[in-house]
Formats: sequence, C-alpha cells, structure tokens
Amino acid sequence: MTDILNMTVPGKPEYVATVRMTAAALAMNAGFDIEAIEDIKVAISEACTNIILHGDEPGTSEELHLEKTKYEVRFEIDGDELSIYVEDHGVGYDPGRYTDPVPGEIKSGGLGIFIVKTLMDEVDIRSQIGAGTYICMKKYRRPASAAV
Amino acid sequence: MAISIQVTDNAAEKRWDISLAGEVDIATAPSVRERLSAALAEKKQNILIDLTDLDYIDSTGLGVIISVYGGIRADGLSVKLKNPKAGVRKLLSISGFDKSLL
Repeated sequence: MTDILNMTVPGKPEYVATVRMTAAALAMNAGFDIEAIEDIKVAISEACTNIILHGDEPGTSEELHLEKTKYEVRFEIDGDELSIYVEDHGVGYDPGRYTDPVPGEIKSGGLGIFIVKTLMDEVDIRSQIGAGTYICMKKYRRPASAAV
Repeated sequence: MAISIQVTDNAAEKRWDISLAGEVDIATAPSVRERLSAALAEKKQNILIDLTDLDYIDSTGLGVIISVYGGIRADGLSVKLKNPKAGVRKLLSISGFDKSLL
C-alpha cells in the first residue's frame, strides 16, 4: 500500500524548511539511512527554491508572485521507494536550454537542478513555458546491510 | 530554521574569522550575504569560515559564498572553509567548489 501526503505551499522562503523537515521525517520513518535523508533534504529544498527564485518574471507584483510561486508537493512512500512530486504553475522554462554547470566554475546559476539530479536515484523534469514545471524525484532505500 | 553568524576580525592573521551555525537556505542566505558584505566593506581581507556547527547548506548558501569569493579573488584574497560536516562536504564535492574553498 502506498502512503500519500500532499502539501500546498506558499512560495515564501520561510516554508522551504517546513517542506525539508517534512521530507526528512517521512524518510526517517520509512527507514532511510542518514546520508539518504540528507540527500533528500537538499534535493527537495533545491526544487522548492527554484520555484521561488524562477517561478515568475522579474518585477512581478508581490501578490502575483505568491500566486505564481505557490506549489504542490506530493510524497509517496511505497516499500523501499520514496517518490516526491513538486509542481508549480509559474512561468516554466525550456529544459532543452538547460546545461549542467561546469564543476568548480565560479558561478552558482543552474546548480540547483544539477544537485537534484546528482543526489536522487531518478529525476524526471517536465516544464513548459507559461504553464509551469513538474519534477518527480525518487530515492530507493538501500538494504540495511548496504548502509554504512 | 535559524542561522547564527559570528564575525571576528582576526588582526594577527589579517582575516575575517566567520562562524556559521544552523542552516543556510533561501530564507537565511540573505543574512549571511549581508554580514559577509558588511565585513568586507569595513575591511578587505581574507575570510575563513568555520562550518563546525553548520548542519545544512544548499545551492543558495553556496551561491553566497562563491559570489563573495568571486568578488575578492581579483584582489588576491580568498575565502576558505573549514570543518564541514559530511553532508556539507558532499555538496561542496558535487559542485566542485571543494577544490577552491577547502
């Protein structure tokens, strides 16, 4: 049986920690090891942060910004698998134009998505200009004997 | 979550000794940027950031540190990090910033 938890989150920086702590608590209850829990915390924070920073056009009014950067997070726990879905209805972007950053290059842009892809076992990102962005990320629990 | 930032002028070593405790994310990174910028505005010198009590950082926090580093390296100055916890070290390694900052 899959356990499902849904959150609708205002696009405000202070709620990213709330989502992060929720993800950590769910992963801990599901038996993930400390390293995996840390990975999940960073990945979900990066996804939420991207929405707040890039979910609307620069110069948008505060009211519209909050509407455009409101997002839904859905957690699904099914056996050894934790799936996290993050969806917004902001400006979206063209994933084809995204390139991974050069490691160590002194700039921070584009780093968030790269970190999500590195830390999670499966990542699926779909985005459409004007319609928003959907990210599905999965982490698989390692057998206890494989945990360090 | 909160962040605690301590800034000390280490006159003997001619550098800013910074201590970060707590979590640096999109909510707390602006105060880290503000404190580092204020220190550099007062005196341009190297920066050493002690991460012993830093429990969490993400790309927003790394971005602040990298941006500060980018702003002073042309003057021959550096930003160095010490004692990162495992999770923080992993993120530094993934981003490739470990080579220039550790």
